[in-house]
Amino acid sequence: MGTTDLPEARDRDLMSRLRGGDEDAFRGLFHRYGPSAKALAQRVVRQSHLAEEIVQEAFMAVWRDPDAYDDERGSVKSWLMGMVHHRAVDLVRREEAHRRRAEAAIPQAMEEQADHADEVVQQLGLPEERRIVRAALADLPTEQRGVLELMYFGGLSQSQIAEQTGIPLGTVKSRTLLGMRRMRDALAEVER
Amino acid sequence: MTRDHSVIEELMAIDALGGLDGNDLATLERERAAHGADCAECLALERTFAETAGRLAFALDPQPVDEDMLERILAAPRTSPAGARPRDDLAERRARRPKAWQALVAAAAAIVLLVVVVVTALPSTTGVTEAAPTQRIVTFSGETDGTLAMAFTPGQPGAVFWGSGLPDPGPGKVYEIWMIEGDRPVSGGCVSPTDGVIALRVDANIGTTDTMAVTAEPADCPAAPTSPPVLLADLTTVV
Repeated sequence: MGTTDLPEARDRDLMSRLRGGDEDAFRGLFHRYGPSAKALAQRVVRQSHLAEEIVQEAFMAVWRDPDAYDDERGSVKSWLMGMVHHRAVDLVRREEAHRRRAEAAIPQAMEEQADHADEVVQQLGLPEERRIVRAALADLPTEQRGVLELMYFGGLSQSQIAEQTGIPLGTVKSRTLLGMRRMRDALAEVER
Repeated sequence: MTRDHSVIEELMAIDALGGLDGNDLATLERERAAHGADCAECLALERTFAETAGRLAFALDPQPVDEDMLERILAAPRTSPAGARPRDDLAERRARRPKAWQALVAAAAAIVLLVVVVVTALPSTTGVTEAAPTQRIVTFSGETDGTLAMAFTPGQPGAVFWGSGLPDPGPGKVYEIWMIEGDRPVSGGCVSPTDGVIALRVDANIGTTDTMAVTAEPADCPAAPTSPPVLLADLTTVV
């Protein structure tokens, strides 16, 4: 059994119970993935209160319609993070211009900067997952990692990356593909 | 015969990271259609790239979530209308943009009515003047409940703000309205909602403002903001 099989089996069990209306199953899913979802949303939108909205919207959708999860299409954790990421990127693209101008003008006194990792890393499987993903990212060639991070964590489109970095669009695309292939293969290799 | 997946693989990798834009959105759609909905290699590529992208999130240090959020979600009705289904693929994401615009237009139309009503109904002591026919309406968006809109006439000083359903800004606090030009916020005044409703006229010229913001501030209405905005409105796209 691979290193991530047990947590994934537990996640699928939670989703199965959630379909039956089990509140405890939802609580388990929320406590397990809420903090990572918040971290992702906050990294993309850069404001804690907007990140909270995104996390709430994504988990609300899960609570209301758990049947939307199709276990043929991947793991529960990636499905959840995909929903959070899509919402965060949508919000950034919609509000980017005026929000970032406002951010520059208004101090972010309330933003949370503390690293709360120690408070929540005791969840089953997640510290190991964090180590695996970070190691895979660190092994990428710098230029591929840079494009992936700008796109995924920065919420930038391929054209925006090309414009802001001066890298030709075709190169942005090819680096993204190469980086994603390497990440995919590295993550799969760990699980064998 | 084996199809070439080089183009679709590249586009799917970018799409999984949320980076696809421009003509490539249509190209991916066209390629998917050409390969067919049951193309096993396409489905495998889509699944593995989505899985890879989703796992990238775990590179980040987790952040604490509002303690009350879980209970708010559990208190929500657990129906499964089609519209509540999580949107997690390309077609669904594309479908969001027109819906967002439709909602914005609907909200703006509703606010136009509200502003017309308040402008005509408020007593003269409020200082609200009648809106001009060339008036523009801008709606705010942000973390707080309720609606807030601003009506102004380009080229003329003054703007009328109308909000409803707004939460109390907190003990000893008021809402302060900011006009931001470049990186300089200028206060447009402070206001406290009564039963969630505010109506305020600001005499400043909105014409050179890029962004309007609302923050919750101490009741002495400080000259510079001390907290992040709870509502924002982009004026750069207002024609």
